[in-house]
Formats: sequence, structure tokens, C-alpha cells
Amino acid sequence: MNALALRVEAVAAGRARRRRRGLAFAGLVALLAIVSAHTVLVVDTDWARMGSLGAVMKSVARFLAVDFSLIPQLWEPVLETFMMACIGTLVGAILCIPVIWLGALNVTPSRWIGYPFGRFLMTMSRSIHEIVWALIFVSAVGLGSLAGILALAMRSIGFIAKITAEAIENVDPKPIEAIKAVGGSKLQVLRYGIMPQVLPVVLGTIIFEWDINIRRSAIMGLVGAGGLGLTFHRQMVMFNWPGVTTVILAILVLIVIGEIASHYVRKAVT
Amino acid sequence: MAILDVSDLSVRYAGTGREVLRGVSFSVDAHEFVAIIGPSGAGKSTLIRCINRLVEPRGGRIVLYGEDVAQMPRSKLRETRRTIGMIFQEFNLVNRMSVMDNVLSGRLGYVGTLPSVFKLFPKADIRRALEILDRVGLSDHVDKRADRLSGGQRQRVGIARALMQDPKLLLVDEPTSSLDPKISREVMGLIRGIAREFDVPVLCNIHDVQLATEFATKIIGLQDGIKIFEGPTAALDRQKLDEIYAMEVL
Amino acid sequence: MRGASPTREWSRFRFPETPIRFLLLLAALVFVGYAFVYLDVRIERLAELLSRLGTLLAERYYPPDLQFLATPRYLASILDSMQMAYLGALIGILLAAPLAWFASYNMTPSRRFLYPWARLVIMGCRAVHEMIWTILFVSILGFGMLAGTLALALFCLGFAGKLFSEEIEAIDKGQVEAIRASGAGHLQVFVFAVLPQVRVAWTGISIYTWDVAFRAATVVGFFGAGGMGWYLQRHVQQLDNERVAAIILSIVALVLVSEILSAWARARIMRGK
Repeated sequence: MNALALRVEAVAAGRARRRRRGLAFAGLVALLAIVSAHTVLVVDTDWARMGSLGAVMKSVARFLAVDFSLIPQLWEPVLETFMMACIGTLVGAILCIPVIWLGALNVTPSRWIGYPFGRFLMTMSRSIHEIVWALIFVSAVGLGSLAGILALAMRSIGFIAKITAEAIENVDPKPIEAIKAVGGSKLQVLRYGIMPQVLPVVLGTIIFEWDINIRRSAIMGLVGAGGLGLTFHRQMVMFNWPGVTTVILAILVLIVIGEIASHYVRKAVT
Repeated sequence: MAILDVSDLSVRYAGTGREVLRGVSFSVDAHEFVAIIGPSGAGKSTLIRCINRLVEPRGGRIVLYGEDVAQMPRSKLRETRRTIGMIFQEFNLVNRMSVMDNVLSGRLGYVGTLPSVFKLFPKADIRRALEILDRVGLSDHVDKRADRLSGGQRQRVGIARALMQDPKLLLVDEPTSSLDPKISREVMGLIRGIAREFDVPVLCNIHDVQLATEFATKIIGLQDGIKIFEGPTAALDRQKLDEIYAMEVL
Repeated sequence: MRGASPTREWSRFRFPETPIRFLLLLAALVFVGYAFVYLDVRIERLAELLSRLGTLLAERYYPPDLQFLATPRYLASILDSMQMAYLGALIGILLAAPLAWFASYNMTPSRRFLYPWARLVIMGCRAVHEMIWTILFVSILGFGMLAGTLALALFCLGFAGKLFSEEIEAIDKGQVEAIRASGAGHLQVFVFAVLPQVRVAWTGISIYTWDVAFRAATVVGFFGAGGMGWYLQRHVQQLDNERVAAIILSIVALVLVSEILSAWARARIMRGK
């Protein structure tokens, strides 16, 4: 029995040790959180200016109304936002082609320069926030939906290209071998061997990105790049809080439509 | 005296409306090892899962130690479940946890929620776990991750986990379907040995008739949701066997 | 064999699926064409534009005012962005974990009440863009990091929450069944049967969430929420293009570093587990 008691102690000690390590990690996370919270709450926030909780609640209540008179004016921006998302995704998908060609190991013409450059382009596209892209393009082509379309396109390249390149790299060689074995030409290998594997992934990704782009498209107007964002901004500067809520609701409706559409189309495609 | 008394149990699948069990009645007494046999689709797995209400019965009574499991409120059900140990066909171990944690999880019904969430089990439980692991022959694997064990070893962890509950009844669902013949025999022997040692009745669902007749004291034959046979193992002859499996299409 | 079974036809085109699909595709193409016209997007202009883009940007933004990046106030704003991202992501993830549990169809403790509400909260937080959250919070709480942190928290809640719940919905039922059968309560089932299965994936998702939060945190200041974005907005307004260029470069560089670090962290975790 004594031997057993020793083993129990050993197991209990091991568990206690693991528990302490977990607590140490949690402690570190908490410490960083406290430091950050200190900066946010103590150093940065001007509590006097914010007022009491009641005042804050009143500010929130301002938004709890809908400005129905605004709705007729919303059709055009809603349409514009939706179209920007569609065209932006399309242009982005087309611009992807060279990036994918460079960034897929089994297709790239240059393993040591082309491939890293392709992956670099993909990363850059994803690392630059859509607002920053919008600022760049507004500066380059002026205010309006064109800047928004280009910003969305550039932002989308990264994800679509990355997933597609990976799908191409992971393509199963066996069907390709089979098509070659029955005497298929290069084009037929592409059509019957590669495309059935890659196309569903590509289309699914494009539609996924299109769905996200609707969300992004709605804020392009905040920096002058077209769509509902401009309406949003206008309502804010006019202090028309119910109007702001109305625009947000319009955006939500658009997003819901996009979600439903993307769900069904993805099911049909994949 | 009967530990488990099932009367007129019926189950219907909500989706298809199909009646999986129809008016099944049987009992399990102390010291018994009861094996349920029958063709696939007969409802054996469903029957086992009714006893601890992993499957909700539509009608009938399931009286365990004098209390009807089928009518219990959820809170009482949890208390009752901790006295029923269950061993599964696919072992159902938590793969990413160690053997020790898997075995200790058998005590979850007994340990308070807050300490268990932080994996704080009393030393008495750890002691018991080590003893049981010794009994099933896994003392060398205490800290191994469950998914690094062989099939037979995993089933033994499952047996250990069930034992940790201090069970008053052992439910066993196809314990050997995922194991090869030699290991199957060892596992069945272990279950029977442990059942005798700790004086726990066993209700076991098994498709291998050979193993059933070898290890069980009583046989229940199920076909298409109806009990066709209930009797001591010796009473199961060729003719009765043919009756039970008559509908089986290979 | 004589008197064989009647011949069956196989056709690639099934009615009415194929005509419907074809019509929908046609409608989509017509819509896209109309969109091009409506928005006055001219493809030749596009192509010419993209080629001119390089020279256009170089004229206006070169050379970038890199010295500005070294000023203590700007460096402090970088730290501010990091802290906002960290705190926002942490709050979001900590709230997302239980919400995802409630919002997972297979494991939610209450399908009739908790499930729909949890799903609604997560989808609501996801649908609203983080910049809109920022503007709303700035309007309510005033300029500064608090608005930014809360906006990021809500954004991360939606982002991580959806990914978390998808992981839960993919777990193995058998392990859950076994823990339930031993008499465990809901929370115990979650800790012992769900968490061990999703732990690795959730860690990867958390790192990914931080990454996305940081990218947003560098820009939320543009709308008044503190951090690097505020300087971006100020200098865009002042048409101070060299500084704008420098700030954008610093943002991109930092986000790149953050991405590399998180990719490394995620790879290590995948290897370790």
C-alpha cells in the first residue's frame, strides 16, 4: 500500500505542476491585459468628458430609431454598393490569374524568384486594410465608385489567389495520370483532370470573398470611394442619428441577401 | 431480486417514424451477465442506450433499483447515470486527454462542477484510478495520450473509466466489434472477471454469438425490435438461434 | 440476355434544373454587364489606369517622410494600436468561447432559447464592419482608445465566434456520449468532451483573430479611435502626402511582421499537438 501511496503523490504532484504552468500562462495573459486596460481606461480616456452612465445611455438611445423618410434615397447607394462588390470581386478574380500562376509551386516559371514574389503579392494584398487601399485609389483615380471597385479588387486578390494556388499545388495526380493514360491531350487533361478538382474550390472561394466584399463595400464611401458609406457619413455629420441606424439596417439587409445567395450558389457549385 | 426490470419498452425514431423496439420486457438480476444477441438492425444498440436514456423511450418502464429511469426528471437522471457504467464499441475515449484523465472522467458525476472544470480530483480518486489501471493491466500507460494506445488498450481504458463510477450496472455496447478475435476474447474475459470481482451485473450487446454463449449467464434474443428469446445460456439451442437470425440478410 | 430491362437514358442536362441554372447564370451576367454600364466602369480606362498607377503613386508619395515614424508620439501610437488590438481580441475571444458553445447546434445546452440568441449575437457582430462599430462607439463614448477597443472586441466576438462554433459542430459525438453517460452536467461535458477536441483549432483561430484585430487596430484611429490611424487621417486631411506614405508603409510593415509571427506560432502549434 505504501508503494501505491507514493504513486498517488507522484501523479498528484504532476497534475499540480501542469496546473501551475497553466496558471502562469493565464497570469501572463492577464498581466498584459491589465497593462493594456490601464492605457485604455486610465491614460487615454477622459472620463469627465464622457459624463455619467446615464449620459452614455442617452447617447445609445439616440440610435434606437429609424428614419423612414431616408429609405427612398437609399436605393441608389444600395445598388451601387452591391454592384461595387460584384465588379470588385470579378476584377480581383481576373487580376488573380497572374498571381496564382506565379504563386503555385507546380506551375510557377521561377521557383526562386517568381514563386516568392507571387506569395509576397498575396500577403501584401491581405495585409493592407481595405480602407488603406481605398485611400490609395481615391488619391489615384479620384472620388467615386471606381476607387472602391479597385480597392475591393486589390483586397480580394490575396485570399482567392492563396486558396487557388494551394488547390493547384495539392491537386491529385491520379486523375491526371488516368486521363493521360487514355490518350488525352494537354487541353483535355486540363479540362477533365485538373479543372474538376480545382474549379469548385476556386468558385467557392470567389463567392465566399464576394460575400465578404459586400460588407467591405458598404464602408468604402467613408473615405469617398462610393456606396452606402457616403450616405452613412452624411447622416453622421448631420447628426441624424435615426438616419444612421437606417443606413446600418440597409447594410444588414444587403449582407443577409448576400449570405443567402452565397450559401445557395456555393452549394450548387461545390 | 432484479436489479434492472424493463417492461414493455418501445422506441420510435422521430425522423422515420419507424418502431425500433416494440414492447420489450426482460430483467437483469444480481451476479448475472446478460448478453443481447440478434441480427443487425434488431434494436440491440437502441435497447442498451435506453437504460441510461441516451435514447428516449416512447413508452414502457425501466426500473433500476426500484426507480423508473424512463420517468425521471433530468437532474435525477444525472445522479442515476453516474451509477451506470458504460463501455462503448468505438471506445469513445477523449483522444487528446491522457489515460489518467480519461479514467478520472468517470468520476464527473460525483465531483463538483467547479473543481472538475479545473481538473481537480481528490487524491482518493487518483488512488482508485491507479488501482483500477493496475487491475486492467495498464499501469505503464498512465500518462499516455489515449490516441497513442492500441484498440485493446483503449477498450481497457474504457472499462477502467466505467469502473471508476462504482457502478451498480454495467452497460456494454458491442465491446469487441472494433477488435481482432484474440483481443476480443481477452476483453470479454476482463469484463466478466471484473463484473464478478466487483459484483456488478452486466447487460451486454454483442453480435458474436460464440462470445455471447461463452461469457454470458443469460441470453436475450432480439429480432426486428421484438424479444424472441430470454433464457439461460444453456437453453439457447440451434433451433432457437435460427429463429432469432431468421431474417438476417447477408 | 433476351427480354432485357428497358433502356434508360442518361443525359447531362436534367430538366428543370438545367434551364433554371442557365437562366440564373444568364441573369447574373446581364446584371454584371449592367453594373459596368451603370457605374461607368470602362475597361480600357482600367487597364490604362493600372499601368499608370505605379508612376502616379511615385510622383505623389515619393519620398516618404520616414523620419516622422521615429517621433515619440507616433511610436506611442503604434503601442496604442497594439494594446487596443490585444485587449479587444482578448475580450472578443473570451466572450466568443461560451457564445460559440451556445451557438453550436449539436452542443448547445438549450436549443430553444440560448441557441438562437447566441447565433444572432455572433452574426450581428460579424455583419457590422469594424469601422462602423468604431464610428458608433466614438459617437457614444468620444474619441480615444476605449471606443476602438470596444469596437474591436465586438468585431472579434463575431469573427472568432463563428469559427469557434463551426469547430464545435465538427466534433466526434462518441466522446460526448461517453462523458454524458457517466452523469456529467453540461459544463463538465463541455470541458471534458468538447474542449479537448477543439482546443488546437481554437488556439489557431485565436491567433488568426489577433492578427485580423491588429490589422484593423492600425486603421480604426482614422475614425477617431486612437492608434496609428489617427495620424493617418490627420495627414490625409492636410494633404501631407509624404507623411501619409510613411504612415501607410509603417502600417503595412507592422501588419506583415504580425502575420509572419502568427503564421509561425500557428505552425508551431500544429506541429506540437
